[in-house]
Amino acid sequence: MMEFISTFISASLIALFLQNAIYERALGINILLYASRKKKDVIGFALGLTYITTISSALVWVSDRFFWDFEYYNLIIPVLYILIVSIIYVVSLLVVWRYFPKLYWQIKKFVHLTVFNCSVLGALFLNRQIGESFFSYIGYGMGTALGFFLAGSLLYIAYERLNSELVPKAFRGMPIMLIYVGVISMALHAFVGYA
Amino acid sequence: MERTENNNNSNRLSDGLIRQNIVLMSGIAIAPVAVVATNFMNALALTSGFTVIAFLSVFACYFIPRKLSYTIRVIIYALIAGASVIPAYLMVGYFYGGEMLETLGVYLPILAVNPLILTKTETRFRLRKPHLMLLELSGYVTGFNVICMGVGIIRDILTNRQIGSLPVDLGFEIPAVNATFGGLIMVGILGGIFRWQYNQAKLRKIAKLEKEIEMQKLLENL
Repeated sequence: MMEFISTFISASLIALFLQNAIYERALGINILLYASRKKKDVIGFALGLTYITTISSALVWVSDRFFWDFEYYNLIIPVLYILIVSIIYVVSLLVVWRYFPKLYWQIKKFVHLTVFNCSVLGALFLNRQIGESFFSYIGYGMGTALGFFLAGSLLYIAYERLNSELVPKAFRGMPIMLIYVGVISMALHAFVGYA
Repeated sequence: MERTENNNNSNRLSDGLIRQNIVLMSGIAIAPVAVVATNFMNALALTSGFTVIAFLSVFACYFIPRKLSYTIRVIIYALIAGASVIPAYLMVGYFYGGEMLETLGVYLPILAVNPLILTKTETRFRLRKPHLMLLELSGYVTGFNVICMGVGIIRDILTNRQIGSLPVDLGFEIPAVNATFGGLIMVGILGGIFRWQYNQAKLRKIAKLEKEIEMQKLLENL
């Protein structure tokens, strides 16, 4: 049991710090730039991502286990993973619509952005790098979403200052936010020890 | 009449190319450019893959009936885009080799969940006639391709002192631009410069129009 827990934790930590989806791979950066304007959105997107990446990682583990030796698996992976995410998306929406109708109308507008984005698909593609165990898959999936939350929180904290008059007008918004994310990514790079 | 139509067409093309450039203006396709476009060849392979995925998927998604609910339509869009990764994958493998596929890694398949396909198809492309949709899409795809190639070429010069196999020696190297953080910072700086230039051009256009109006008024008074 302890082995499973340690696999889960180490996969989560790798995805959170060493292979942070935003700082190390820039996956989901467009969603991050959009979500970091409001604290509520950062939390909402992070929760949505955590749910989707964790559950879909579990299903991806099953699919990888059965189809990995299939000759053309590489080619069908995108469709297969999107299908897995879609099934979770539809089932979850139905459950929310049936039991939490108020929440359903609140999340309806942007829920597809949380589900169909490159950080979810990227996490599913990279799952296998850490290991082949079930717990490493879901640990990596959850760590990816936590990494998004970390990056989103850091960007939210600086959001007002980055969009203030201190910054030249043409650089306000997306350009300066990208530079800021790049600088933090550089710091993390040095911290991890790639340099 | 014909001139107005030509103007409209050039506006449609320049919309995706400049005003709503998906990398530097709306920032919806930053990741592949920042991470994978580290040299000329990588950028070329990425733009080829993106062109195939974008055209195939948007064209196929165009014919999905509107009767279906949005939730279902988004899923179908994503599945079609996922399927269009297959020809892109085969094409990149055929022309650039298996090593290039490994270099592009997850950044080729994740183009399938690009907001250009999932969101713009719904809010923009579907509302146009087929030939106008193709024209507008060409603008967006060219916009991505130009920026991706530009970033690839700059990084190739700064790290390898070449463009493709053509030597271009600036007398110095900045290898860090090949890292993810280098890509993010570079795209950010290019975005700022691009917006500044765009705003300047807009101001010049307004000043020119104002001058024309003034001249017209002056002529009328005479």
